[in-house]
Amino acid sequence: MDYEFKLDGVPRTITLEKQENRYVISCDERTYDADIRFLDKNVLSILIGDKSFLAYIAPNGPDRIIWISGHSFSVQEPADDRADYQGSDQQSQEDMLFVKAPMPGKVIKINVKEQEKVRKNQTLAIVEAMKMENEIKSSFDGRVKKIFVSNGDLVDSDKPLIELENEAKPEPEDS
Amino acid sequence: MIKKILIANRGEIAVRIIKACREMGIATVAVYSEADRNGLHVQAADEAVGIGPAPAVDSYLNMDRIIQAAQQTKSEAIHPGYGFLAENADFVLKCEQAGLVFIGPNSQAMALVGDKIRSRQTMEAAGVPIIPGMKDTAKNPSEYVVEAERIGYPVMIKASAGGGGKGMRVVFSEEELRPALEAGMREAKAAFGNESVYLEKYIEEPRHVEFQVLADNHGHTIHLFERECSIQRRHQKIVEESPSQALDPELRAKMGKMACKVIQTAGYNNAGTVEFLLDKNKNFYFLEVNARLQVEHPVTELVTGIDLVHQQIRIASGEKLAIRQEELRQQGHAIECRIYAEDPMNNFLPSSGKILYLKEPSGPGIRHDCGVYSGWDVPIFYDPILAKLIVWSKNKESACDRMMQALNDYVILGIKTCIDFLKDVINHPQFRKGQTTTDFIDLYLSEWQPPEKSEELKDIALLAAAFDSRQSGFAADTANFSDQRIPSPWILLGKWRIGGGE
Repeated sequence: MDYEFKLDGVPRTITLEKQENRYVISCDERTYDADIRFLDKNVLSILIGDKSFLAYIAPNGPDRIIWISGHSFSVQEPADDRADYQGSDQQSQEDMLFVKAPMPGKVIKINVKEQEKVRKNQTLAIVEAMKMENEIKSSFDGRVKKIFVSNGDLVDSDKPLIELENEAKPEPEDS
Repeated sequence: MIKKILIANRGEIAVRIIKACREMGIATVAVYSEADRNGLHVQAADEAVGIGPAPAVDSYLNMDRIIQAAQQTKSEAIHPGYGFLAENADFVLKCEQAGLVFIGPNSQAMALVGDKIRSRQTMEAAGVPIIPGMKDTAKNPSEYVVEAERIGYPVMIKASAGGGGKGMRVVFSEEELRPALEAGMREAKAAFGNESVYLEKYIEEPRHVEFQVLADNHGHTIHLFERECSIQRRHQKIVEESPSQALDPELRAKMGKMACKVIQTAGYNNAGTVEFLLDKNKNFYFLEVNARLQVEHPVTELVTGIDLVHQQIRIASGEKLAIRQEELRQQGHAIECRIYAEDPMNNFLPSSGKILYLKEPSGPGIRHDCGVYSGWDVPIFYDPILAKLIVWSKNKESACDRMMQALNDYVILGIKTCIDFLKDVINHPQFRKGQTTTDFIDLYLSEWQPPEKSEELKDIALLAAAFDSRQSGFAADTANFSDQRIPSPWILLGKWRIGGGE
C-alpha cells in the first residue's frame, strides 16, 4: 500500500507491503526488508538486515513527531493534496505579511506606527514571555499597514500583532 | 535536625531538594500555583499546598502566603531553591520573624550581597579585586552617558537587584546607550520589581569562573573548588563544568582563598557561590555572590562527592561543618547541560506546550535532575528550564563523549528544546580544548543550523510513520486502539485452561 506524507515539510511517498512476518518498504529507488514491532504504543523496534533502530512516535494533533537516533522528524499526512499545497502557498505569504506573536506573552512595546516604512530586521515590537524580552523583527522591507495590539496586551502564540504590506504594490495581473 | 521542610519552589530544583530531604528522613511540603497542580514537585512531596494563581507574583513570590503554608503544615524550615524568593532579604527576615528557619544565609548578609553596588564597595574596601564601574545607580540618562564615557566603552548595563541575565545589555557606543538603558530597566522592573541599573566595564573574552562555598554558623568556611560557566546565551549559562581548564593548582588555591574571604567579609552563612571573571591574562575580578543553591550545583557534587543540599540542611540545623578544606579533592571532570524549552533556531525564544513523550538518558556517570514528565504541559509563566543533564567521567575528553551519548539518547517530543544545539557545543573542538570564553556562542555558533539528517534516517522515519498509520488504520476498525498495537499475551497464547494438560 502507498502512503503519502510530508516529512519535515517535503512531500514523500512510501510503499509498505506485508510479506509473512516482514515488511517490504520502498521509497524512491530504495527498497528495505524490515522486521517491525511496537514495543509500546510510542516505541517501534525496526530491524533492517542486521541493523537495529528504535523509533519513538508521538501523535501531535493530525501529525506525528518521530524521533530516531537523536534526530526528530515532523511527519504530516497530507489531506486533499492539491488544495492543501495551494493553501500552504497562500498561507506562507500571509505569514510574511502578518507579524505574529512567536509565543504566548505580553506586549511590552510597539516600536512602529501605522503607515511607517520598515526595513528588514527592524524591531517592530517587544513581547515578554517567561521573564525575557523578545524582539519581534520585520522579515522584509515594507510598510506597516495595521497594528492589532497595544502595550500591555496579553497575546497567544500565532496571534497577529502587526500587518505589513510590500512597499511596491503588486502590479495588476493584466499589465 | 530539622524534621519538616517546605520547599518554596517548583520544577527540577524542588524535586531535587525533596529527594535530598527523603534521604535524610525529613518530611517535605510542596507549594504550587494553579498552573502547577499537576507539577512533578507536587507528586514528589509528602504534602502539597496551593498558594494561588499562575503568575509568580500571586503565588511563588507571595511571601505571606508561603509563610502561612509553612505554619499551617507545621514546617520548621523553608528551602527557597533558586530564583523566586531565594535571594530576597525581606523574605528571610519574614521567616526569621515567623520563627521559621530559612535554609540560606542570614538576612543581613543576604541584603548586603544582594545589593551588587554595596557589596562591591564592601569587597573593594576589603581588598578583593573588582571590575571598574559605577559606584551607584544614576538618577537620569545623562549621568549614565557621563559614567559610560568615564569607564570607557564597551560598557555593561546590569540590574542592581538581579541575576540570570535579566536586565543585562552590552553597549558599544553612546547612541546605543539610551534604548539599552530603557530596555534593561524595564526588564529589571519586570523581573525583580526594582528598575535600578548600573554600568561597569565590559571585559572582552572573559571566562566566568565561580567558587562554591559552604559556611556554617560557627565561623568555619570552606570552598569546594570552581565551576566554569562561560558557555552562555543571552547572558545565561547553559553549559557548566568543573574543573575549569583555565586554572592551575596555584591560581585555584588563590581564587578559593579569595572566595572564602568574600564570604567571611559579608558575614555570610550556608551555601553560596562567589562569581569571578577571569581575563586573558589570568587576572580575576569579583562579580557577585549568588546567595543560593545554584542551578549548576550538581557539577560540584559530582567532582567532590559532597551533597550540597544535605550540607545546607545540616548547616541550617546548626551543625558544624564536618568537612575540612584539606580533605577535599576535585576528582575527574563533570559537565552539566541545561535542558531548556526554547528554540535555538529562533534566538533561543522560550517555547511552551505539552511534552508528548519523554525518555531520560541513563547509564554510568549520568545524572538527570528533572522537573517534567510525559504528558506535562509546560506553563508559560516561569523560567523555561525543564531539566539538567550532568555527567561525570575521569577527564574532560571522556566526559564530553559521555555527555554526547546522553544527549543522543535524550528523547523529548512535543516541545522545542536546545538539545541539538548543546550537542554542537559539547562536540566543538574549542570546547573540548577548553578554549571557552563568555562569547563562545557568538564566536562559534552564531550561525547555528540544526543537524543534517541522512537519507537512511529519513527513510526509516517514513517507514515508521507508514507502519504506525497502517496499524492505526487496522485499529480504527476495532474497539481499542492501544490494545491492538500491543498484542495481548492471552491472544498470543491461544486457547488454554487453568490446571490444563488434560
